Amino acid sequence: MATRSDLRQQQELIGAIQPALHVPQNWNYEVGNPLYRAYMHPPHDVGGQFDAPGVYEEKEEEQWELNTYVTCEVLGWRGVWNSEERRRRADNDLGYALYLGLPYYGRWILAAARMLVDKNHISLVELMEKIAEVKSRYARK
Amino acid sequence: MPESKPLKQSPSTAGQARFKVGDRVRVKDLPNLFYSRTQMYVRGVVGTIAACTYQDLIPEDEAFNRDGRLEQYYIVRFRQKDLWPEYPFDNDTVQTESPERWLEPADK
Repeated sequence: MATRSDLRQQQELIGAIQPALHVPQNWNYEVGNPLYRAYMHPPHDVGGQFDAPGVYEEKEEEQWELNTYVTCEVLGWRGVWNSEERRRRADNDLGYALYLGLPYYGRWILAAARMLVDKNHISLVELMEKIAEVKSRYARK
Repeated sequence: MPESKPLKQSPSTAGQARFKVGDRVRVKDLPNLFYSRTQMYVRGVVGTIAACTYQDLIPEDEAFNRDGRLEQYYIVRFRQKDLWPEYPFDNDTVQTESPERWLEPADK
């Protein structure tokens, strides 16, 4: 069980990862065309954008990443979604903070979970309770 | 449970390809609404058809699990200098794939 101070720290972290838009935004009454277009821009279309120099490292896939890949492909074979829907959900729909913040396969598995809830294959309550059950099982170990 | 629509085995064809290899085309600037795979940096830029690749599902349909309609895909070649005015080398090019809906004749 998280303490009140853990939760407070968590809340600060949530605040700190809001996208830096350089202009404070707070439920604008009016949004002009350039700003509207900026809001609607798909997060994954980053080609040609200015950026700070980054360090990219070669990295082997971890087991959870391979499991995620297989799970998402199997959902495709069963006709539950297709690869383009997966891209739409994992690239467009998550928004900037999640798109830029999560690992590649983290976005896949989150998109898969959201899709299964959206299409009523599982209920959100079922998923929440299952995750809580697994977490408590691990906490006891 | 809402109906999940698996892809059909043989969707309708898209008919004749509108462009041929060597044609000059401009990438359209259609609205970004919920989904797009057409990069900002090629929009409004004129390039050359490098290959007519294949017919496949319309990406905007497939992304929302709609099937049955096909369109023609192309490889379009752009001069780097046309994409990035400050690019230093005249002969360098970049190729990207585009569905027919996002292209128009460059003389239009």
